[in-house]
Amino acid sequence: MTAKMKLAPNTDQLHVSWSPDREQKTGVAASVRGISKSFKKTRVLEDVSFDVAEGESLVLLGPSGSGKTTVLRIIAGLEQPYTGRVILHGKDVTDLPARERGVGVIFQSYALFPRMTVEKNIAFGMKIRRRPRKERKETLNRLLKLVQLEQHRKKYPWQLSGGQQQRVAIARTLAYKPQVLLFDEPFGALDAQTRVHLRREIRALLKQVKVPAIFITHDQEEALELGDRIAVLNNGHLEQIGTPDEVYNHPQTEFVATFLGAANLLLGVVTLGAVEIGTARVPATAETKKFRGGQSVKVVFRPEDVTLSKDAKLPEGCRRLANGVIEEVSFVGAYERLNVRLDLTQRQPAEDKPTLYEVTINTPERMTGIPIIATRPKPEASASKFSVGDRVAVGLTAFSVLPNYTLVGGRVNRALDINR
Amino acid sequence: MPAISMRHVRGFDVVRPISIGVMLTMMLPLVLLPLLSIFIFGTSKGLGNFWAALVAPEAVFALKLSMITSFWATVFNVLFGLFAAYVLSRHDFPGRNAVIVTISLPTAIPTAVAGFALLLLWGPYGTLGRLLGLQVMFTPYAIILANIFVTFPLAFGVIKPVFDTMSRSLEEAAATIGATRWQTFWHVTLPSLRGAIFSGALLTFARAVGEFGSTILVSGNLAGRTQTAPLYIFAKFNEGQIEAANAIAIVLALLSFVIFSVLFFARDWLEFEAQEV
Repeated sequence: MTAKMKLAPNTDQLHVSWSPDREQKTGVAASVRGISKSFKKTRVLEDVSFDVAEGESLVLLGPSGSGKTTVLRIIAGLEQPYTGRVILHGKDVTDLPARERGVGVIFQSYALFPRMTVEKNIAFGMKIRRRPRKERKETLNRLLKLVQLEQHRKKYPWQLSGGQQQRVAIARTLAYKPQVLLFDEPFGALDAQTRVHLRREIRALLKQVKVPAIFITHDQEEALELGDRIAVLNNGHLEQIGTPDEVYNHPQTEFVATFLGAANLLLGVVTLGAVEIGTARVPATAETKKFRGGQSVKVVFRPEDVTLSKDAKLPEGCRRLANGVIEEVSFVGAYERLNVRLDLTQRQPAEDKPTLYEVTINTPERMTGIPIIATRPKPEASASKFSVGDRVAVGLTAFSVLPNYTLVGGRVNRALDINR
Repeated sequence: MPAISMRHVRGFDVVRPISIGVMLTMMLPLVLLPLLSIFIFGTSKGLGNFWAALVAPEAVFALKLSMITSFWATVFNVLFGLFAAYVLSRHDFPGRNAVIVTISLPTAIPTAVAGFALLLLWGPYGTLGRLLGLQVMFTPYAIILANIFVTFPLAFGVIKPVFDTMSRSLEEAAATIGATRWQTFWHVTLPSLRGAIFSGALLTFARAVGEFGSTILVSGNLAGRTQTAPLYIFAKFNEGQIEAANAIAIVLALLSFVIFSVLFFARDWLEFEAQEV
């Protein structure tokens, strides 16, 4: 009993900010250190480490089978790591059972107790801790108000909508003042519209209660919206962790680049302050700093970072890549999507003579050209229209340069190149 | 449109009344008439005689003994079935499937064989009987033992599938909230099993009350001491006291009728319980 009491210190001040001594100590709410895990002989996690700060929400993003659920279960104490430690508010909890960790888990299925009303579900944690009746009642009322379920307090879980059930699940974990909240694919079971709505609701709620949260999802849009930071997992391996901006705009691995949104990939070689892609030479002093000359690299850029121009003049700050031919134009809702075939076999003229080469799509060259995808927002698309066969100059406003591991061997089972 | 079938054109489905009729006609001599005859013969000499046969001390004793022994066998088998279902669906160990098959075996063994086996084990010359030096055979305890053996897999068979389909996340949720294993079982798991436990208990009880083959071997069939209701029917019939046998037969038939009606009409409620988990 004493161990349990320790985890729920003065529940009378439910909600809201954490006791100041805790915050002063570390500022780190939860920390995962070098976690590995195998099921039978399959490695599902390999040396995964990350921290979650007070009040922060971190998203674990990865495809199914990347091990993200296992990370969550290990933090919750529902699974034991093979190696590594789990530290919550400076205390090593690796060897503590789930019930003594004070970690709130919102399961994908919500896992509400079917025989209990909303009230009883929420009060369950306080009941088994034998909190005084008065305190239970007050906390319950506060929580019901917080998740806006006051009118539904007497209902059973099956009488509630998916979103309401989820709010009950959140309130149920908040009732015992968890050190960290874990959300396992929280919106997986909901339709697209409710999903977007609930996402915002939960984000607002979390800001209110200031409990650090870890979300698990395979949906990149969800990750970008929910996370203060995003940790991208692949094959049990932490690929990159950073703010949505860092992860999206400066991917450190090819997997991150291709998993988080669409990305074009081109193979190149580093030369003095530039990357050579076929016959094209793109100046990239900053991007190639950590590479040697002659090193094989991959140039990664997002479709929206591609600039196209019919008259071969590219705007300021945009680096020239090559010439190309528009191969396909399609509207995808809010933006226009263009398939462009790059000509990377013919020498380009010097910078001062920006003429367009004759590249055609009806000759065998079409097969040797390299396709990329570009997108343009609607206003830009209607301002200058492109049609199939138009010759354009292609420039990049932003791109990343990544080492080309596939040539070195190993790490082969990564996302496929589009430029084969 | 001549392609439309005649049945639909006439608006009357011939197959329906015919098939229902055939089914009922087949059931008549096989099930309905035998049941009916118990009631007709039992009450043919007047309700007074029927009542007299029913309240005869030996008859009352036999009925009571049946109820009591079946009750304890049910209690034991539900508790054990619950426990076994929990262990077998929550833990994997080598030989688990062999254990599941073994638990289910008593349904397939002829009851006389079961009784005989119990006699060999517990009887005056049996292994346990000699070893312990205490004699349970030919006492009411023997009847309980026989009932337990014969109805062993019933409750287990009903509870185990519910355990199997129950989502683990309910128990995991309870654990993360801070519940101990026992609190989780008591507050979360058990309530979800109510329906299965209820129907398992009814099935076990119904089967135990009617048990004859093993009981007659292990009880010794001593009137007023170890004679259960089915044995009473058999004994009275052998003595030619048809009314006495018939009175008890009616009671037993009515009892099973009630039990199975409850099981049938509570089915929605029971299934609802199972689905929700």
